[in-house]
Amino acid sequence: MTELQHQVRGVDHVAYPTFDPKGTVRFYRDVLGFPVVHSICAAGWGPEKHPDFIHFFFDIGNDDRLAFFYYFGLEPFEGGPQGDSYSRFAADVPVYFIRSRHLAIHVDSEEDLLEYRRRLDLSEWPVEMQIQHETIESIYTHDPNGYMIEITRALRPVTPQEDLDAALTIDALLDVVDGPDPSLGALLARKAELIVERAADWEAEQQAGQQAVPAPAGSGGA
Amino acid sequence: MTALYVLDVPENAGVAEVAGRDPAVTVTRIGPYFEITAEGPIVIDRRATGCRHAVWYSSVAGLGRSRITQHDKDALRVEPA
Repeated sequence: MTELQHQVRGVDHVAYPTFDPKGTVRFYRDVLGFPVVHSICAAGWGPEKHPDFIHFFFDIGNDDRLAFFYYFGLEPFEGGPQGDSYSRFAADVPVYFIRSRHLAIHVDSEEDLLEYRRRLDLSEWPVEMQIQHETIESIYTHDPNGYMIEITRALRPVTPQEDLDAALTIDALLDVVDGPDPSLGALLARKAELIVERAADWEAEQQAGQQAVPAPAGSGGA
Repeated sequence: MTALYVLDVPENAGVAEVAGRDPAVTVTRIGPYFEITAEGPIVIDRRATGCRHAVWYSSVAGLGRSRITQHDKDALRVEPA
């Protein structure tokens, strides 16, 4: 397998439409304290009939940005009683599916997580859930557009063996997903085979890597 | 023969430890995984492991010729397939 160089540097921006710019600015700028860092006022142009719009950006840390489009004169589209300003769903679509697409913003500590919890709880958009997952703790709410927003902290650093485990999971998933029984049971059976094949060698490579002695510093150059 | 694989991370330590309390169960390692084996069923009491639910329901990494016959808030039971 070719090793592809990994050159990307995180999220430049993610963009959503809004029909409620007032609520959106209150929520992100005034409640959460995310600065407005960029905006574009654009007259509609191009081959399609395109409304005039404002494209505005909030800093979500790390120079990453959350952006919105507000289109003058545009009304929300039909689609069902559930969902958000972008996607509407029929009443029978399960909530776990609707919530599967969400934005999670990182904080460094429990103190920071609780500070954002405090800001939200004092607002019109209080925290709906606070959950300790496997290795992260998160708070959730929905913004004025119905988009689910998560703020999360790591409970501990990720360990190297979790990267191996993720790789084995994905290889096992790709092996079973088009098979006769695409199930968790089939995946765990395939993954056990991959663990037996690869886990011991992986650990030996890790240990060899740790024992490798770096070249002495200052042995050459100016 | 029943074989259950669990990744060795801090959250899962209790799973391997509680499994090994059964004298019929052997806990060894293969790379960074616990390999938990027995001739018959392997039964692990969730409360004894101290695992919260999110950890408990994602603690199984692999099943060698075995199947899960119980995985709920009380216990994980793995039997030969």
